[in-house]
Amino acid sequence: MSVTVRIPSPLRPITGGLGELKVEGATVGEILRKLDAQYAGFAERVFDDKGVKRFINVYLNEDNIRDKKNLETEVKAGDTISILPSIAGGLTADYVSV
Amino acid sequence: MIKIPSSVLRQVYDHMEASYPHECCGLLIGTAAGGQRVVHTFRKCRNLNTDRAHDRYDMDPKCWLDTEREFESGPWSIIGIYHSHPDHPSRASQTDTDAALGAGMLDYSYVIGSVQKGTVAGAQSWVLNEAERRFYEEPLVVDEGDQK
Repeated sequence: MSVTVRIPSPLRPITGGLGELKVEGATVGEILRKLDAQYAGFAERVFDDKGVKRFINVYLNEDNIRDKKNLETEVKAGDTISILPSIAGGLTADYVSV
Repeated sequence: MIKIPSSVLRQVYDHMEASYPHECCGLLIGTAAGGQRVVHTFRKCRNLNTDRAHDRYDMDPKCWLDTEREFESGPWSIIGIYHSHPDHPSRASQTDTDAALGAGMLDYSYVIGSVQKGTVAGAQSWVLNEAERRFYEEPLVVDEGDQK
């Protein structure tokens, strides 16, 4: 089944500037692995050895897949997967910018 | 370089001061070309970090999603992030750097406001250098001519 994958602007250099892709698959993980096969460097930006990187969020429609079955979350035709940067930060004693 | 209309910057400061003593965060919307970013408007986002809101922020991911959808027809897009440092300098911290590197936030402005005892004392803007794994300051130009 075909779903839409929305690519955030920080990742678009990897997809040749494309912000939206149609991909076939049964689970979120299968679809994202297909994208890595098609676009070199995709997995490096999205995954680490534990799954989706801490500073990346993946939504299926309106839900964070971390609140569902992570990469094993099933999709259905017409769904939208959104890859989103996790924006975070805060104070520490050491300031490294110049 | 990032240029921000004074009226927009004042509203961002209002958000930072209203959130004190907690950190706040939001998105800067505008145009970017050749390393120059021009802000036209902004969107406030929720800080989901409730345990350490005084020194941490975790932007609600839905805010990015909703804002991208809102502006997907162009010509504006997300060009930066702002957040506050309550009672601390407006310099990017190691925590800010680690998070930005993890999310791959290259070519975005990070505007940080220093809020001292509830009042914004100043702001600086930073851009991530991935190779050196650190932020460098960029000029923040306030467009005083804007009266929107």
